[in-house]
Amino acid sequence: MFDRIHTIWALLAGQRLRYAGALVSLIVASMLLYAVPIVPQVVLDGVLTDEVREGSLPERVGLWLLGGRDFLGEHLWVAALAVIGLTLLAAAATYLRGRWVAIAAESVVCRLRDRLHHHLNHLPCTWYDEAETGDVLQRCTSDVDTLRNFLAMQVIEIGRALAMLLIPLPIMFMMDTGMAVASIVLLPFIIAWALFFYGRVKTIFRDKDEAEGRLTACVNENLTGIRVVRAFARQDFERAKFHDRNDEHRRLDYRLYAILAWFWSASDQLCFIQKALVFILGGYWVAVGSLEIGTYYFFIAAVSMYVWPVRMMGRLLAELGKAIVAVDRIHEILETPEETATGTQAPPHVAHPGHIEFEAITFSHGSTPVVHGIDLSIDAGRTLAIVGPSGSGKSTLINLLLRLYEPDAGRIRVDGVDITDLDRQAHRRRMAVVMQDPFLYSRSIHDNIALSRRTASDDEVQLATRVACIHDSILEFDEGYETLVGERGVTLSGGQRQRVAIARALLQQPEILVLDDALSAVDTRTERMILEAMRDRHGRQTTIVIAHRLSTLTAADDIIVLDEGRIVQQGTHASLASEPGMYRRLWEIQTTIESTEEGAA
Amino acid sequence: MSASPFIQEEEYAGGRFDWSLWRRILGHARSHRRWFWTMICSGLVLAGTETLLPISNAWLIDEAVAGRTGAAFMWYAILYVALVTAFSIIVWIFIRAAGHLSTGVAYDLREQGFARLQTLPFSYYDTRPTGWLVSRLTSDCTKISGLLPWFLLDLAWGSSFLTGIAVAMFILDWQLALWVLVIVPPLALVSWYFQRKLLRSSRLVRRTNSIITGVYNEGLMGVRTTRTLAREDESLAEFQEQSGDLKRFTIRNSLQSAVYLPCIISLGAVGVGMAIWKGGVQIQAGSDLSLGDLIAFMQFAVLFSMPIQEIAARITDLQAAQAAAERIQTLIETVPEIRDSPEVAEAMRSAPPGGPEDGGRSDITTIEFKHVDFWYKPDEPVLLDFNLRVADGQTVALVGATGGGKSTIASLAARFYEPRRGEILIDGVEYRQRSLHWYQSQLGVVLQTPHLFSGTIRENIRYGRLDASQAEVEQAARLVNAHNFIESHDGGYDAEVGEGGSKLSVGQRQLIALARAVLADPQIFIMDEATSSVDTETEQLIQSAIDTVLAGRIAFVIAHRLSTIRAADVILVIDHGRIVEQGTHRELLAAKGRYWRLYTRQEAEEEEAAMGRDGRAD
Repeated sequence: MFDRIHTIWALLAGQRLRYAGALVSLIVASMLLYAVPIVPQVVLDGVLTDEVREGSLPERVGLWLLGGRDFLGEHLWVAALAVIGLTLLAAAATYLRGRWVAIAAESVVCRLRDRLHHHLNHLPCTWYDEAETGDVLQRCTSDVDTLRNFLAMQVIEIGRALAMLLIPLPIMFMMDTGMAVASIVLLPFIIAWALFFYGRVKTIFRDKDEAEGRLTACVNENLTGIRVVRAFARQDFERAKFHDRNDEHRRLDYRLYAILAWFWSASDQLCFIQKALVFILGGYWVAVGSLEIGTYYFFIAAVSMYVWPVRMMGRLLAELGKAIVAVDRIHEILETPEETATGTQAPPHVAHPGHIEFEAITFSHGSTPVVHGIDLSIDAGRTLAIVGPSGSGKSTLINLLLRLYEPDAGRIRVDGVDITDLDRQAHRRRMAVVMQDPFLYSRSIHDNIALSRRTASDDEVQLATRVACIHDSILEFDEGYETLVGERGVTLSGGQRQRVAIARALLQQPEILVLDDALSAVDTRTERMILEAMRDRHGRQTTIVIAHRLSTLTAADDIIVLDEGRIVQQGTHASLASEPGMYRRLWEIQTTIESTEEGAA
Repeated sequence: MSASPFIQEEEYAGGRFDWSLWRRILGHARSHRRWFWTMICSGLVLAGTETLLPISNAWLIDEAVAGRTGAAFMWYAILYVALVTAFSIIVWIFIRAAGHLSTGVAYDLREQGFARLQTLPFSYYDTRPTGWLVSRLTSDCTKISGLLPWFLLDLAWGSSFLTGIAVAMFILDWQLALWVLVIVPPLALVSWYFQRKLLRSSRLVRRTNSIITGVYNEGLMGVRTTRTLAREDESLAEFQEQSGDLKRFTIRNSLQSAVYLPCIISLGAVGVGMAIWKGGVQIQAGSDLSLGDLIAFMQFAVLFSMPIQEIAARITDLQAAQAAAERIQTLIETVPEIRDSPEVAEAMRSAPPGGPEDGGRSDITTIEFKHVDFWYKPDEPVLLDFNLRVADGQTVALVGATGGGKSTIASLAARFYEPRRGEILIDGVEYRQRSLHWYQSQLGVVLQTPHLFSGTIRENIRYGRLDASQAEVEQAARLVNAHNFIESHDGGYDAEVGEGGSKLSVGQRQLIALARAVLADPQIFIMDEATSSVDTETEQLIQSAIDTVLAGRIAFVIAHRLSTIRAADVILVIDHGRIVEQGTHRELLAAKGRYWRLYTRQEAEEEEAAMGRDGRAD
């Protein structure tokens, strides 16, 4: 608990003064609000009642401030003005409180959001392999919102309830001890009821949320699979499935209402009984002459002012747990260490850049070894093809080269420099990678491609898209290169996305180009065209190609075959195809599938 | 890639308050009439109780001031307790009634919306991301049904409470009532003004919030791309722009409410002040206004602001939810383009049991496209005067460039779309004269990206035929070479496939989709062959599975694999919506035409050369 408070305190850095200011204005506002009913009290007791009595201290001070009994009796509008004036001051203080809290809380939350975003961009990629996107996203959004709620609302509402309750207490006891006790006797029960109730109904809330989740998942699945539903004419089956979820959700949702009805009606009753107590007991004491009418009025006004905030406080206290959980969940992300320190060297300038050496590279994912003792050298400007079944470690080698992963042992050198000595971003900037399922940002196609080189002209962008065989497809979109893609724009097919990503990589003019199964969704003919055009145009860079279709790799200078994290074969296509082993086996299967094509050629 | 569910549609409906829309929405409460009226009555009774409370206060105070503690005092005290108890009971009643009404309306809207979604044509889905449609049935429904009961309650309560207070004050002292009532117009104005401002600023907050969620989501999905492009700093700068906006908008929104509430309190104080001043002067002058009455007036002055605030807030709620209401109402009212004609519906009612539900022929031996025209957008025809006849278990391979119309032909055959002109005949009968459900039950469709539902492997295969036995499921899996991998899979047939099949590889998903189609034992098979590469061994399995599935059935295949194409009875080379070549593999190769060029290097080189020229021309 203490370290959570410490965490929250640390988050408030820079805004603590504003919070303090808000706290002060909150207290001032509460005091002023309680001063307001003293005015009618003074009028009732001092002016409108016949007998002259010695009032309590606050009453006497009030009467003196309003100009004394006689003056006030002559000028009752002064009392009206006092009520309005005091309320206006309270209103001003309330405004200041709202303003300072808003600015403070939003600044804290904004900074937290930025920090999360920055941190997510610097967490090691191995962390992402484990993390669940939906969960991380929830921590960054709804958990941050919960914290925001806590900082902007809950803290201040609880503070307000406390101020509203504690400020009138001494005045009330000064005025009349018996009445004061009668005015607060039920408050502990009101708070306890809220705490008890919200403690008990947590599971009902959770059940309902889960039912809602199942309902959403059901709709989502039905809609993403709508073509399958139609294809098998399973509409009735789907409706029955949805009906069950919908019915369950309705039932649990209603259960929540039914139980909340008990909470609200019971706590309303408690609050009203608290008021009735003040009202009836006070009335009795007034009748028997031991309480003045004005004081009586003050108590009635006061109890109405604090009883509702106190009820609210009970609920807020019960919900504080949520904020604590949210803080914990956010902190779990922030406390995960960032990528290892980057080196500082800039990549060296050499005549033929792109010479890559892997030296005894070993890497494990958790406790699962992925690659062992890989030794590999690729000369500048050459093309290396990597072949192997799924899970053999092909992509891991790429991730290591990119420093998305750090090897457990061994070294990778590019142009003779250990890549851990290099500035990470500079190192990555000279490489371009196209992955099997490339990611496009939600912006225009042009911007997606030009991301890799901001200074590129439109002609250069189009040159790249022509080589990637995507120029014509882009022009077919209504808005051509300005067409929005990604979440808010048009949906590109897998093959189109791959080709856009290739154009992006080509535009970058990298020293090292990596195609990680980057043409898998492109048909063979287009694939061959792209590869050949790339060879003609960009023959200078070192290229690493991973692919399943061996026919596309035949032109590589060197081919390695990976299996279970080791290099099992190495050579050119001609040499590997003629020796027994995995490569020849794969080659034979594929050539039977494609034999006619070869024959036709 | 569908749109993220986090990014919401535009929230703004037309600025105008749409009465007819809300009347139609209220129509959904018709089947919950009982709870509808319970809400209204609760509002009325509540208002009555709350008006009586200060009055009973006044009576009791007057007794007390007069120094009487007798029976009258007792009765007033009992009346007060009875009133507050009644209040609590009504609270209990209306929350439960609200529960019935709200969950009932949400349930109805969802059932209707879901049923409608099952009948809408794919063209409807083509233009709307799944996330949006999902939120129509989830958050939109929650929003509408959640505010409906409170709107009814607060409208009934607020208006009658205002009336009640006014009437009570006039009865107590009409002159003083007028003085206190001066605060009502400004209260109403201030509430209206601020509620509108708050509505606008909170829309901005919500919109920016969903953008931020989208940016986070994009950052998570594209984390590797961002790293490899080394644009971390740039992406943070972009994010900071959004988070800065959100901060500004939220502060603006909070400041508006920070002004609004103090304004309301101050106006209440003016009312109290009026009561003290004018009421006090009256008492001094010796009118019949009692001290209790004066206190009641002061209480009323404070109470006034509540109903006014609530009514303004509920009306703004409706306005805020108008876009959601419009979306769900439009969905429910959309009439599907593709549905059974009245004649077919009639035939289905009188069909003899045992045969097809529409009383027609039960087997399909030929399909014929006759002069079919089709377009998605009126000025861009995809098919023009397309003719094709398939009979006797023939497999038709459709080949040609993307966008040439291959998928359209397959979709038309499946009646996912219908011809704009011309007709499609099954055994000589236009297929629109048959039941849609019957026809589609005869289809087996395998799509390029096979979709699996979360659940077990067994459940997914059984989707093809719901009453299939375990043996039949396994039989189907064996036929498509899926049995072995399933058996060796952790959990076998009972293994969970994950959402959309995410726990299986692409190749495995394809095999299961094929097994599902085989189990359905369709008369017509429609397949969009996958292009994405799987590893060589799986590729081989899929290949022979497809051969098994196609044998002896009428089939339309958008083919990419050469072996599939070779095995086809007829190959159609489609370009710009027309058949440019037709024949068997052998015939077409011999013809040395378009098809032959498509599959030889020659064409690749030619195109490349042409592309090179284009490149230089730039």
